[in-house]
Amino acid sequence: MAMSVRVRLGSQFRNIMRVCFHENRHMSTAEIVVEKSENPKEPERISLEEQQRLNDIAKNERMEKLLNMRFAYQEFLPDPNPKNRNTLKERLERRDMLARRSNVEIPEFYVGSLVAVMHSDPHAPGKNNRFMGICIQKIGAGLRASFILRNFIDGEGVEINFDMYDPTIQRIDVIRLEKRLDEELFYLRDAPPEYSTFPVDMEPEYQPEGSAVPVNEIKVPLKPLPWLVKWERMGMKGIRDVTSMLTEKRLRMSKLKQFNKPWEKYDLLKMYSETIPIEDQVEIFSEIQEKLHELEQHRYKMKRSRNFVKPTKMG
Amino acid sequence: MTTLLKVLYGFNPLKSFLTPKPDFLEITCRSKHRILPKPKKRFPPWLIKSTRSTRYEDELTSENKTFLKQLVQEKYPRPESGYGSYSPLNLNIVESAVEWSPSYQRAGLIARKIGVYPMWMKDGRKVLTTLFQVADNHVIKYQPPETYKPMITKRKTSLPPSKGSLIIGADSADPQLFTKEYCGLFEESGVMPKRLLARFHVSPEAALQPGTPLLASHFKVGQYVDIRGKTINRGFQGVMKRWGFHGMPASHGVTKTHRRPGNIGSGGKKARVMPGTKMPGHMGNRYRVLKAQRIVRINTKYNVLWVLGSASPGECNSCVQIFDTVLPLKNCNYLKQTPYFPTYYPGRDEELPEELMVDDLHNFNDPTIMFTEDEE
Repeated sequence: MAMSVRVRLGSQFRNIMRVCFHENRHMSTAEIVVEKSENPKEPERISLEEQQRLNDIAKNERMEKLLNMRFAYQEFLPDPNPKNRNTLKERLERRDMLARRSNVEIPEFYVGSLVAVMHSDPHAPGKNNRFMGICIQKIGAGLRASFILRNFIDGEGVEINFDMYDPTIQRIDVIRLEKRLDEELFYLRDAPPEYSTFPVDMEPEYQPEGSAVPVNEIKVPLKPLPWLVKWERMGMKGIRDVTSMLTEKRLRMSKLKQFNKPWEKYDLLKMYSETIPIEDQVEIFSEIQEKLHELEQHRYKMKRSRNFVKPTKMG
Repeated sequence: MTTLLKVLYGFNPLKSFLTPKPDFLEITCRSKHRILPKPKKRFPPWLIKSTRSTRYEDELTSENKTFLKQLVQEKYPRPESGYGSYSPLNLNIVESAVEWSPSYQRAGLIARKIGVYPMWMKDGRKVLTTLFQVADNHVIKYQPPETYKPMITKRKTSLPPSKGSLIIGADSADPQLFTKEYCGLFEESGVMPKRLLARFHVSPEAALQPGTPLLASHFKVGQYVDIRGKTINRGFQGVMKRWGFHGMPASHGVTKTHRRPGNIGSGGKKARVMPGTKMPGHMGNRYRVLKAQRIVRINTKYNVLWVLGSASPGECNSCVQIFDTVLPLKNCNYLKQTPYFPTYYPGRDEELPEELMVDDLHNFNDPTIMFTEDEE
């Protein structure tokens, strides 16, 4: 491939941290840096080589746009385990996913975003239920894709695991679109309740179109021991310093080499076997891109037509 | 007189009781069937050594290779749409005019297990479905019950055999890959040599002409099927993984016996290990049948079956045999269904849409499921 792929040290480290958990399909191309044309002004005569170079850059930009879909449409990438892969099954699954997306809008959101889900529930009064909370995990490939929402309701921590393609979901609203420093926020279970308490009737916050997704760099303090997980070993970035809480032994243990796994950054095949190759990603996203764009256009039109109120004759 | 006595003695009903019997200790077998079946003595004669041990690629010039390729293409032209690979009998299949009756046994299919994914029922329930691709099935050979002599028969009955044998092949491949003898198996049907073969016992009424293509629409949605396949090979396993024993405590003074079975026999007169005792050993890599699984969705374009449940034998991309269920309370007769008999013929039977679904399965093209309050 003509694309220059440069892996930065910082992002590499983040990826290794992410390997602790099993959701890492989308990280195959850690950071794609594409050469930008230096002289936007066109010279009088373009040589063949220059033309070739410009074409390559345009192609690379297209590719970059295509490959960046792996963040918003993460669940379209299949399970990277080669034992479970089958081209026909993946194609049929993608078709079902697009069919579901044509009936309900599944917006772009990330771990750390505030999301409200309206879903049909046969046991609820009125047969409908709305739950709003912070997304603490997004996991699964294909129709198995799911996410967990967490909130404090009546002084009780509540978490609900929703399937993204569940046909009982009527609407998914993104209240606040943002990212956190980590890929999973399970440490909120060991944090004080105010860090996962959000008012249920929050108004959605809108951002200008095309702006980058903001990253909330909040550092969460943890409650005193005991915890559900030994967070000091997990290398979480969104946790405030906890060394003062730990006993001397646990502090010593957390610094042991066996929990740090320094060798993993040299394991080149690990990354390859746990991710989908770029060639496959391009194939998948170029297949779904057209349909997704069509759906987006249709939805935009519908929204405009709904806003327009026909003036009525007075008197 | 002596002859008369002999005859009387022969008819004596008490003869069997009067003969002395040695006093044997009765030993019960805990397992209903043998865990490891007896190895078959005779090799099935229809299963000839298929693949060639050596291929003399170097001795062929490029012209020879192109000539061979051309020859294969001439003999087996491109497939027609909806039929899988080429069959010479596509155009004039002899369709059987016999009507279906519950006593008839139909042919089965060879399918590839391609994955598992969830679907939702109309009541909002999430179910797991297994996908099977019916890859390119053709009838290879039929033997009527008179000439069909199976190698191993379980019961020796005096009745004449009632079922014939139907051999079905799947997954066409280049004839150069196989031996001459193996390619000879496909001469009668005229189809390309197949990688996979399977035998099904069928009623003579359900016999199919060699060369007939079999499609996923051989089955109907809502029908129950049995799935036979080779389970995942797990190697030599302990008693906890193989039989689900609980093992022994991790602490409280237990040493070296955390995953062991414990006692396997008793003392006294029966001072031995009973046959069929659950013990460590080789796990998996055996043929197992999963009975009465419901077909909920069929794709007639890609020939894919969606079967409810995720417990079918074998790993992903392995091959299984699928046939009408043998369970009496789930078969077509009990559920008042009429299957396509002897199989689905695209010309004779009604034209099917691309997607077929049972009524209680949610189609992803349908709008969101809404529950309404019961008005009382």
